Amino acid sequence: MENLGYLGAAYAIIFGVIFLYVIFIQRRQAKLDERMRAMEARLAEVRDHLRRRSAD
Amino acid sequence: MANTFTRTLAALTGLLMFAAIYMTFVFVPTEAEQGIVQRIFYFHVPCAWVAFAAFGIVAISGIFYLWLGGQIWDDLGYTCAEIGMVFCTLVLVTGSIWARPIWGVWWTWDSRLTTTLILWLLYGGYLMLRAMAGDSPQVARFAAVIGIVAAADVPVIVVSVRLWRTIHPAVLITKQGQHGLTDPRMVATLLVALAAFTALFALLLLIRFASLRTRSRLAALERELNLIDAAAGDL
Amino acid sequence: MAGFVAVLRKDLTLELRGGESTLALVALSILILIVMVFALNPAGGAADAPIAAGALWVAMIFAGMAGAARTVLAERDNGCLRALYLSPLDRGAIFLAKLAAASIFMVVAEAAVVLMLVLFFNLDFDLRLVRMLPALALGLIGFAALATLLAAISGRVHAGDLLMPLLAVPMYVPALIAGVKASAAALGGAQWSAMGQWLRIMIAFDVLFVAAGFILFEHLLGED
Repeated sequence: MENLGYLGAAYAIIFGVIFLYVIFIQRRQAKLDERMRAMEARLAEVRDHLRRRSAD
Repeated sequence: MANTFTRTLAALTGLLMFAAIYMTFVFVPTEAEQGIVQRIFYFHVPCAWVAFAAFGIVAISGIFYLWLGGQIWDDLGYTCAEIGMVFCTLVLVTGSIWARPIWGVWWTWDSRLTTTLILWLLYGGYLMLRAMAGDSPQVARFAAVIGIVAAADVPVIVVSVRLWRTIHPAVLITKQGQHGLTDPRMVATLLVALAAFTALFALLLLIRFASLRTRSRLAALERELNLIDAAAGDL
Repeated sequence: MAGFVAVLRKDLTLELRGGESTLALVALSILILIVMVFALNPAGGAADAPIAAGALWVAMIFAGMAGAARTVLAERDNGCLRALYLSPLDRGAIFLAKLAAASIFMVVAEAAVVLMLVLFFNLDFDLRLVRMLPALALGLIGFAALATLLAAISGRVHAGDLLMPLLAVPMYVPALIAGVKASAAALGGAQWSAMGQWLRIMIAFDVLFVAAGFILFEHLLGED
């Protein structure tokens, strides 16, 4: 059972890095969702603006 | 729709990964010469396979982007460069951890190690370009060109690095000579691990690709909205 | 062909009137060579051939990184990239002209570096230097092609000057390995036959990057 530490380290790093990458993807996705909300708000604003102008 | 598919794929990946871990740690016999540390092999090779496949897709999507246009190709290339980089890093790190007990060194300028390191640097440069330059159709074209040229450069790199090391023979024999898969259970384990990592690759690709697609569409909408804003200001 | 000649003549005329690119390239190359001498502290003579060859190539790629890209960057600084893009010239011809101009500038710099190399490392002006020339010439063309291709990218993105070496060095690895090996062999007194395999790699590299630049340059020139 020699070198078990190396084996453990290798597998820990593999799954650790993949886990970190998934976290990274998730955080990017959260930022995107935020941008999406800002976008929707701006779109609503423009729509409001246009509606008011056509009502005038 | 995409969600059901993603979930199915995630379940499949989990299942395969579990099987691969079980086979690697329990099922497969310990290799006689290298002992237990040889088991790194069953995940090291699939990582290399995923990295090379991903880098291959970067070049192919680069060609399609320049040829047909379409943001989708650029997003695909970006996704694959990123995933390829993650797995290329894993190849280097696990290889290094494997080399230490077996070869007695963390790093040796063996031809395969050197080639992988240069690939890592190449696609690191590609990702730096994308990170620093931001996104615009111009940067997408730049990235496509880099992706294509890098892939075309790979065969020349492989040949030159191999010759470089044949002239000054390395102290160590090739890895291939060291881990001949003597037992059919070893082959089975490797195949299951390959399937597991391919599924993982597909899953990560799907998720990240969808995310980048959204980002591109959002960026396009934002540009359009800015134009509308500017036009509205004029009126 | 006419476009190629016109762009090349313009670049050479500009360089002859101002001459700053080549001079800077020469000065930078010699400086890097001096840094290498200080860093490696060679004894001089034929025994140091591998060190001399290494120093030569380090000087070439790091000076070339700054110098060979000038032919493209000068156009950008003068706002002329757009004019080139709008001109009816064939994109491939523009690339080849820029590559030719960069190669000529680099040839001048390399001549100076080889001269200084002989002095600094106490080499002889003999057949050994001549045998090194093919490798040097092939490496130079390959690097000029790579630098011209990448300059169209690095010159036009944010922090591009940082990107240039990050992209250029890994891509140049095959030619670098082959060039250093061939030059070391030549300076060490080896015959032509010892260099064959390295020269073939460099030819493959040159063909690849000249072709890539010729075909892909149009995608790099365009603006949004």
